[in-house]
Amino acid sequence: MLLREVEYARPASVQEALRLLGSHEGARALAGGQTLINVMKARAASPDVLVDLADIGELRGIELASDGTVTIGAMTTYTDIVDSAEARARPILGEVCKQIADVQVRNRGTVGGNVCSNDPTNHLPPLLVAVGATMTILGQGGERSVPAREFFLGVYMTAAGPGELLTKISVPPGKGDGFASVPIGRDGTCIVNVAASLDSGAPTLAIGCVDAVPVVLTPDSAAEETVRVAVRGANLDPPSDVHASADYRRHLAEVLALRAVAQAAGRT
Amino acid sequence: MEAVSSRTITVEVNGVQYEREVEARRLLIHFIRDDLNLTGSHIGCDTGNCGACSVLIDGVLVKSCMMLAVQADGAKIETVEGLASDGELNGLQQAFSDHHALQCGYCTPGMLMSATALLRENASPSEEEIRKGIQGNICRCTGYVNIVEAIKAAAQ
Amino acid sequence: MTETTVTPERPLVVEEGESKAGFIGQNIPRKEDKRLVQGEGVFFDDVKRHEMGFVHFVRSPYAHARIKSVDVSKALELDGVYGTLTGDEVAILTDPFFELSTPPGANIKDYALAVGRVRHVGDPVAAVVARTRELACDATELVEVEYEPLPHVLDGEESLKDEVVLHEEAGSNTVWSGVFDWGDFDAAVEDADHVVRIERLHFDRFSSTPLECSGCLVEFNRGTGQWTIHGTHQMPGVGAIWMAPALRVGIDKLRFISQDIGGGFGNKITLHPQYTACCLLARKLNRPVQWTEWRTDQHTANTHGNERTFLDVTVPVKADGTMLGFSVRAIDDCGAFPRYEPLGCIIWAQVTPGCYRWRNVRVDFTQVCTNKSPVAPNRGYSRMQHLWLTERIVDIVAGELGLDPIEVRKKNYVKHEEFPYETPNGCVYDSGDYARCLDIALELIGYDSLEEKRQDAESRGKVFGIGIGSTLDSGTNNFGQSMILNPELQFSGNNEVATAKLDIFGEVVVTLGTVPQGQGHETTTAQVVADILGCTPDEINVRAGHDTYWNSNAGLSGTYASQFAVTGLGAVKGAADKLADEMKQLAAAVFGCGPDDIELVASQARIKGNPEAALPFMALGAILNANNAGLPPELDVTLNVRYVFRPEFEKPDLERKFGNLTLTYATQIHACAVEIDPETGVYEIVDYAAVDDCGNRIHPQIVEGQVHGATAQALGAATHEIFTYDEEGNLLTPNFYDYHVPHALDMPPMKTGYIESTSPFTPLGAKGMGEGGGAGIHAVCAALQNALGKKGEGPIVWRSCNPYEGVWDLLQKPEETRKLVSVETR
Repeated sequence: MLLREVEYARPASVQEALRLLGSHEGARALAGGQTLINVMKARAASPDVLVDLADIGELRGIELASDGTVTIGAMTTYTDIVDSAEARARPILGEVCKQIADVQVRNRGTVGGNVCSNDPTNHLPPLLVAVGATMTILGQGGERSVPAREFFLGVYMTAAGPGELLTKISVPPGKGDGFASVPIGRDGTCIVNVAASLDSGAPTLAIGCVDAVPVVLTPDSAAEETVRVAVRGANLDPPSDVHASADYRRHLAEVLALRAVAQAAGRT
Repeated sequence: MEAVSSRTITVEVNGVQYEREVEARRLLIHFIRDDLNLTGSHIGCDTGNCGACSVLIDGVLVKSCMMLAVQADGAKIETVEGLASDGELNGLQQAFSDHHALQCGYCTPGMLMSATALLRENASPSEEEIRKGIQGNICRCTGYVNIVEAIKAAAQ
Repeated sequence: MTETTVTPERPLVVEEGESKAGFIGQNIPRKEDKRLVQGEGVFFDDVKRHEMGFVHFVRSPYAHARIKSVDVSKALELDGVYGTLTGDEVAILTDPFFELSTPPGANIKDYALAVGRVRHVGDPVAAVVARTRELACDATELVEVEYEPLPHVLDGEESLKDEVVLHEEAGSNTVWSGVFDWGDFDAAVEDADHVVRIERLHFDRFSSTPLECSGCLVEFNRGTGQWTIHGTHQMPGVGAIWMAPALRVGIDKLRFISQDIGGGFGNKITLHPQYTACCLLARKLNRPVQWTEWRTDQHTANTHGNERTFLDVTVPVKADGTMLGFSVRAIDDCGAFPRYEPLGCIIWAQVTPGCYRWRNVRVDFTQVCTNKSPVAPNRGYSRMQHLWLTERIVDIVAGELGLDPIEVRKKNYVKHEEFPYETPNGCVYDSGDYARCLDIALELIGYDSLEEKRQDAESRGKVFGIGIGSTLDSGTNNFGQSMILNPELQFSGNNEVATAKLDIFGEVVVTLGTVPQGQGHETTTAQVVADILGCTPDEINVRAGHDTYWNSNAGLSGTYASQFAVTGLGAVKGAADKLADEMKQLAAAVFGCGPDDIELVASQARIKGNPEAALPFMALGAILNANNAGLPPELDVTLNVRYVFRPEFEKPDLERKFGNLTLTYATQIHACAVEIDPETGVYEIVDYAAVDDCGNRIHPQIVEGQVHGATAQALGAATHEIFTYDEEGNLLTPNFYDYHVPHALDMPPMKTGYIESTSPFTPLGAKGMGEGGGAGIHAVCAALQNALGKKGEGPIVWRSCNPYEGVWDLLQKPEETRKLVSVETR
């Protein structure tokens, strides 16, 4: 509940933020704090320096391009997305964000924080993989784009490395998406979640909570048996914990994959 | 600019300005309760799940245990102490009392702030919207039944 | 019996101008609300003292280990640290806390900090006090403790073997053991047409997790040796009985103060170890010290509800569904230290046959220690576990014999005309009408359209079930039941205190001995006093909270065990009656008439039939206190009275384990409808009805609030709330992130109904009802069973907590639980 000593800076620009992150080995970016502050309260991790991104206006906001691409600044909150007209170009984004925790968390929690913490039970990593999002990372060496499928590397590890910042996420337009989950209580932590998209014709499935990173499947069609075979063929090896055994997670993954695909099919 | 382990912050709470030196590691809820002596907001957990610490920061509902005090520098904060005027309960507080929406009163300040935020945004929420609006506030005494009734009544 | 049937869909709200005789029975605005809705309550952590030090405990990371050394030197070097306390010091400065059990449990040595050994993860080993909360936490990381891990035991049945023994002084993990045998169980089996056997049932470990964690601010007065403890203790009298001898001081050296407490539910009754550590620190460091428990500490170390395994349940049944009784072997897991235990080993006997007319009951009860968090009398204490057993018995027997669980209940319920009803072990159920409550519950849940609902659910691919949970909330303990466990104990009966005075300006001031945590004591007290004194509740000033110095408490004072409406308000009534009597005597002396000629009406004492001859309260107060020359010398009034309510109890017959153990029995009959997704085991409670009968309701809204809250807690315990440990003895649900309690969206639609069966035994005809009997747990288990089972086939719901995966397992492998049950037909 009580944090270790830490140093704090609140830069006004991305460049200043990168400089601070680069000059302290134990520096971490502070976005909404809905994960990081908890981790620090438990003293499970104690960065030496917190670089608060709150004042960097260019990192927050949602833009809709003429081709329908939705570009979301990393410091955009879940509430911003739920309330955004622009984000409705890809309705699944707001629908899923609305299921995350509660109003207080949605008001502060950010998409950047969600994807960069890459907790295996998070909603956005599988969702963004399924919809084919692209992440933009800024580092001392410049800016680069990474497809969502390649962004998530391990538990709490992403392609945005030390001294780098995720600045924005671009999502192509589309409506043929589905998201199915079994949470612990309404809007609670997910035991298993699955995001599915049919927009590129054949389905893209991303299964969360079963591995360090979302498990991506691309079955040939949305037919029930095809999807089932694909999930079983993935040989999932989920963790066992107090909320679910590996077997139960494996079973839920299959059921939820079918439901997510069915949902997506109903919306194309 | 450099990172610092403590700094002086200025906050406005319920219309009153405060300037204090605070360690960077101090949580906003501890700052409010211990440094500013505003003990109406409470702490019920250590993982940001219970919402007893809920306050409004620049009009936005947040859990103040999930923020550092230094993050609130320059902000306008509203806590439960700012709801009544001169000891006159506002409509929401009165509705809570009328409908027995509190028993031990420990979750109540946070619950009132969440309800305040909800009603500012949505003057006639449905039951589902009310429950969604207080989903981040745990109560162990009431089962939420009367809390929902009170907020419905206050909305009318 | 006074019967009022009310089936409100919304809570009642007092309307202006409503004319009713008296304030009792009305929903007056709560006195507590004004301060609480403004954030102006005073909870212990709100109390500050200049230069106070903050306490943080060093806690064991091991389930069981020897402490080889504790080195606080590095912690003491940290700037801002005021001092420390270790187990070695505690062992020198204090004596072990008094144990309630007989040997071997009596030999357990329980101290304020771990001495020699740690016995559960989270067991406090040392304490550090520092200038800020954060520094105290930093400093605990600098305390070096060398542990030698020992094997540990995490299961009650395993613990019975005494292969790993927690308390070497006791030599066994068994805290208490005994057999209860009433009626003639063997003859009942002979007489039966069927004998249903259930191999195993398990009541899971959970707790009501009050939102405010425990804690205290302790000040020590060096000149007088007096400690003042601002805290959350629900039974300060009992707390002092533990602490004073340990600290080697008189009882009066411990002053407990609380104003507002954020829920207790029984979890704030065994705080004496931490409080003693804080007392030692306050004295040692010569400064006030403050300890705040964080959520993880509460879940890990303070406290859980009793976990109970029921083995070899045997139920003799007649062909027509009449059950003759049951026998069972119960193993109760009380965690690392008994503390308030082994009282749980007898308290269930308040409701031995549950709601039923069963005459032959045999219970072989053993309580053991394990390397888990100690338990405390969590809401529903020990009766809830036992009533869950009786409800599981009814449902399983009905299921196996192809009988309707509703009909079986009605056939076996104690009948309305049988009250007051003496149970096989001499407890007297005061009043009730269980069949009627069940009918109301069935109506509220739309039982007649059950088939329709089932078909509708099935059309959506869901499996549907309805279940009933019938329980009793036994209130106002006869502490003599403790003597059944240990004849050496000197506890029996019960008491509660209140004072009432009329001040010089005519203000009525009442103090209570109880320790409210949200039950509205100030309000209901004012209602009772106002009716007796003939004034309004607004004119009654009830002091908030508890303070030893008010001298309005007795040894067993506190707020626990569903008794305020009886003992607390009984004391209030007694004090108010006495005060009213004195006011009449004084007025009579002033007017020169007899006290019987005086009535108290409209805040005045006046001559009956002559309203002009009236003395306002202010005049009475002023005359006696400041203007009393000329009063008759034989007038013996003080207008400042203290009353001790003592319920009528006898000491139990220790030989037969027989006697009346509780004064009142409130009824809770709940009905629950569930829909299960057969593809995942995920289920939803789609409808819920709760019917309560607690006798005369002093403040209906307060009663309803307790019903709502108890139901929510029970539903949490039924679905997600469970304290699970890993193999190393680490608690896997140590916070609200992992331990999921119901939030607003998790609650089902809830309908409530009430009848009022006046208690013939209590001053106001009311019964305590704050705990409930865990009816929600029983109802959900029954509903799941109803959904999943068929006559003699299908799985058996054998655990109290059924999370989604649990239901999935029941669906997938019904044969595994089916084999727990067998039916022998004779």
